[in-house]
Amino acid sequence: MPKRRDIVAIVLIVLPWTLLITVWHQSTITPLLATRKDDRRDGRSKSRNTFAFKESCSLQNRDIVEVVRTEYVYSRPPPWSDTLPTIHVVTPTYSRPVQKAELTRLANTLLHVPNLHWILVEDSQRRSTLVSRLLQETAVNYTHLNVETPRNYKVRGDTRDPRIPRGTIQRNLALRWLRESYRVNSSQPGIVYFADDDNTYSLELFEEMRSTKKVSVWPVAFVGGLRYESPKVNTLGKVYGWKTVFDPHRPFAIDMAGFAVNLRLILSKPQAYFKLRGVKGGYQESSLLKELVTLSDLEPKAANCTKVLVWHTRTEKPVLVNEGKKGFTDSNVEI
Amino acid sequence: MATRMKLKLKTVFVLYFMVSLLGLVYALMQLGQRCDCSEHDLPKDRTISRLRGELHRLQEQMKKSDATKQPQKQPAKPTVFVITPTYARLVQKAELTRLSQTFLHVPQLHWIVVEDSPHKTPLVTDLLVKSGLTYTHLYMLTAKDRKLQEGDPSWLKPRGVEQRNEGLRWLREDRRAQPGGDNQQGVVYFADDDNTYSLQIFEEMRSTQRVSVWPVGLVGGMKYERPVVEGGKVVRFHTGWRPSRPFPMDMAGFAVSLKLVLANPEACFDGEAPMGFLESSFLQGLVTMDELEPKADNCSKVLVWHTRTEKPKMKREEALQAQGLGSDRAVEV
Repeated sequence: MPKRRDIVAIVLIVLPWTLLITVWHQSTITPLLATRKDDRRDGRSKSRNTFAFKESCSLQNRDIVEVVRTEYVYSRPPPWSDTLPTIHVVTPTYSRPVQKAELTRLANTLLHVPNLHWILVEDSQRRSTLVSRLLQETAVNYTHLNVETPRNYKVRGDTRDPRIPRGTIQRNLALRWLRESYRVNSSQPGIVYFADDDNTYSLELFEEMRSTKKVSVWPVAFVGGLRYESPKVNTLGKVYGWKTVFDPHRPFAIDMAGFAVNLRLILSKPQAYFKLRGVKGGYQESSLLKELVTLSDLEPKAANCTKVLVWHTRTEKPVLVNEGKKGFTDSNVEI
Repeated sequence: MATRMKLKLKTVFVLYFMVSLLGLVYALMQLGQRCDCSEHDLPKDRTISRLRGELHRLQEQMKKSDATKQPQKQPAKPTVFVITPTYARLVQKAELTRLSQTFLHVPQLHWIVVEDSPHKTPLVTDLLVKSGLTYTHLYMLTAKDRKLQEGDPSWLKPRGVEQRNEGLRWLREDRRAQPGGDNQQGVVYFADDDNTYSLQIFEEMRSTQRVSVWPVGLVGGMKYERPVVEGGKVVRFHTGWRPSRPFPMDMAGFAVSLKLVLANPEACFDGEAPMGFLESSFLQGLVTMDELEPKADNCSKVLVWHTRTEKPKMKREEALQAQGLGSDRAVEV
């Protein structure tokens, strides 16, 4: 017959252990619950759903020769995380034969990056169907803007006159959109990166820039007539100069693809834009950065600027000699 | 009653001791695992480690969701074997990087990279390992007299012939070594490292029974070249250059079923063929025009583009190197 004393003794011994076990279980379960909630969170953007591979079963009933109509939408991008800072990638683009190809392969790259927001700004009077359809089909998280460069600023013909800034008005529009869409004291952390549509980006680059506090910098390949240009970093991990041949005395002798800015910095300095007029060749990046940071504030990434993670590739202009004056191919087919 | 009490106390103590021992063993085992050492880190590092952990968790989630998605799909999708010849030049790493980023989206893809080199280079080896793709790394050096020299126009000699043939040879040997009906399923596609591929093209080619064809953008001096389809069959080719060729299309415009490749072990690319006849030299022995399967909506959509990357200007680099001040060679570009 269990006596009351025994029961009290047992309870006193078992109680601290049960408390310990329940507390321990609580601490391990809550992080799991937090991540599960992310999966189900909707309504971020209409384009960021996870579609499944849909295939119509026309093979069983019809001939092999019949066209198999297949619809597939991408099963990326990666699930949105509430803690990772968003990378806002600003890409100016303009219509030319390789545009769809460039945007396609850039989208293929960006679809691997979690928490990415693509701001595509067209140099056009209105948003083209080509770009709108491409953005809808890729299911990447995007914002589609457009602004036409006034004719006196446009590059004339084939000449690449460095005094005329290309894509400047489009990038400034993106900056303005960011400032209108996000408030300074909002808690959503973000990074702004200017990515041209013909460069090549490694996936590692996006993870390097995610930890930007003000402005981070890294080397860029194939710019300035060199294998790569890079910031000079001293042993304390601070940038003190620029390893370039072309005008290394610029305030920021770096290519557009070589730096990223924290969104908070952009929002806190609403007057900072890329300068439009009177900008010497190669000084466009400096025109924005000198309003935002000083040299000592720069954060070197890519292993203290010793690894190349972005390449300033340029795509050849395709030779369309056989099109002739009237156009040999059907202009309704989109390329 | 007293002995019973004593006995009970003894068992309780023993029990207590065992439980504590188990707890200690468990805690020791936890030491080997990942820890949330949030108490020890500084606030800055805490954010970084939290972000890294989040990223790791997301990636694991992605991998898990990819793994669970597979059994739901239709069984054994045919594998797409992509043969890519490549050679060392400045933009090689960039081209292969962005190509691998596209391929990473395609399920059941096997990338066969054949270097124009006497041995496997570390650049390509590392890139393939880090890519996360299923791959085979081969090499085959082009004979010097067949190789394009500096300053030669790109159309002077055919490129990538030996490398593509080496890819085919490996494929045939590999499949012969593993008999089984399932192994014969697949599609072979020749993808150059500077072209641009949409993800749809890989799904279009997966159902190839013999040879399938589709339009290619920005090639042949035109916006696109394509087969002309009438009544579901290819009747002729729409191209601006030498349309009288047996198969006047680009390497990126067709795919061959693995079965056909294995059934014709002699079929390969002829390096001696006149300019523009490279594709025909391979396809002639495999299929006739009316057997071609048109894809991409009866060849009305452009899903692959023959882009070419400019050679980067190295004037300043060369000038610096003449002075002995060239950029650090140890940094891989």
